[in-house]
Amino acid sequence: MGAMEAPFPSSAWFVELVSRATSDQAALERLGIADLRLGVEVLIPDGIDEFFGVVLDGYDIGVVGPTDEDTFAPDVVVSGPLDAWREMVDWIEEHGPADSAHSLNGLTIAGVPLVARSEDAMGSDKFYRFMGTVQAIFDAAGAPAPVGTGA
Amino acid sequence: MALGLDLDYLERSARGEFDLGWLRDTNSEWGVRAVPSKTGLTMRDIAIGSYGVIPEHAPLRTMAPRGSDVEAGVPDMGYTINDRAEVWADNVLDLYEEAVSRQWSATRDIPWADLVPLDPDVEHAMCQLATVLSEVEMVAADFPAKWLWRINHDFVEAKMFLCTQVMDEARHTEVFRKRALANGGGLGRATAVVERFLQLILDAESYDEGSALMHLLGEGIVLSLFRAGAALAPSPVEQQIFRLCMQDEARHVAYGTMHLRYRLASDPSMAEDFHAYLDQGEEIISMIFATPEIVEPTAILAAGGLEEACALGTAAGDVLRLQIIGDYLKRCAHAGLDRRGRLHLPDSLIDGVPGAVAEVAV
Repeated sequence: MGAMEAPFPSSAWFVELVSRATSDQAALERLGIADLRLGVEVLIPDGIDEFFGVVLDGYDIGVVGPTDEDTFAPDVVVSGPLDAWREMVDWIEEHGPADSAHSLNGLTIAGVPLVARSEDAMGSDKFYRFMGTVQAIFDAAGAPAPVGTGA
Repeated sequence: MALGLDLDYLERSARGEFDLGWLRDTNSEWGVRAVPSKTGLTMRDIAIGSYGVIPEHAPLRTMAPRGSDVEAGVPDMGYTINDRAEVWADNVLDLYEEAVSRQWSATRDIPWADLVPLDPDVEHAMCQLATVLSEVEMVAADFPAKWLWRINHDFVEAKMFLCTQVMDEARHTEVFRKRALANGGGLGRATAVVERFLQLILDAESYDEGSALMHLLGEGIVLSLFRAGAALAPSPVEQQIFRLCMQDEARHVAYGTMHLRYRLASDPSMAEDFHAYLDQGEEIISMIFATPEIVEPTAILAAGGLEEACALGTAAGDVLRLQIIGDYLKRCAHAGLDRRGRLHLPDSLIDGVPGAVAEVAV
């Protein structure tokens, strides 16, 4: 499987991402069931910010967007400038599954360059509960499918 | 008590004289059919009819399955937790399913063969962190195990979730012990201050007290350590270890938060009791923040080496401290327990945490 065809950020990019992530359903199911509404906010300098939703429901993954935060009602939103998102995506596309520094956990832990925010503690804790699945989805930008338990 | 052997029945059954007489006048919901949802037949799917009704107070103290027809004369099992609010959480059914579904193996699912030689200071740091985590994780199995047999069987879903926690924590103890022994470093030091906190949890006089100290405070801190471990991992091996542990730990914290919320909603007058439990726990926790066996490994892993850690100073520790205390305050708030303004932590630890004001300087 080659590089992603759709440009980031776009609805087509997320649809292609989920299509790749679900191409090996058995591998995805080995990660376990999940229940999360993840908002992805891309801040565009001197432009209109973009917002997409990723829905994990059991073993299903859905994409919503472009949309806005109020409409989507996320458990948690990962937000940051386009450059930070693009660096993460480019790294994964080039190298495969994210290393610590390019993982969603690594990029959000200090609140920069990305921040994970939620209305309440349960939202952020859900982000932590399903981190392996979320990362496997984003890793699919550079790999055919999540393998094993989320490496 | 002698149960008494029914010799007459023994003879009749030997002759094949079965009449299902025991089934007459049985209380049951004959005809009930739970419908599987899309991931299979879940605990929520079978929480139907009278079987889904969780009593506020368990009427009996037996191991009889809730909803079954219980014969008179069943023995009293001596359960001491007989009120739903003492152990329940509204998310416990879903957390159980999640726990079962997301199990993993420390033997199979960690790419041990990919371990790489590390700088000796970094290996020491990783092994020391693994030592502490291998030490503290087992208390989170011991504590639920200590209380499980005291919890009334009518709250079996909560007991089942706690059983998954026992398994999770066994695996965490296993994986960190394996990491310490897998790359040439070996185990590091166990400290008295950590053991004091573990003792506080184990010696808790009530499940409420121990759960607040463990699920909310202790595991909340460990969850942040797991997050940091995954972010600072020197190789994909450690990244996978910490990520998988983080997922498990967050489930336990989610249970603890929602249990406290349920408990306080049932009896708001208990808030002061919980504040007192946490006051005591925070005082020990503040000492852990000043324990070199915990602070220095984290700083060295964050910086990538000892010299780099010295140059970086407290920057990495500050990120972790802000996250730990900030997340802890958010969880307390969600549970309905406002700890802002009454943290038993020194000013230096809460500096920069939004809304955190110490009531007592420690």
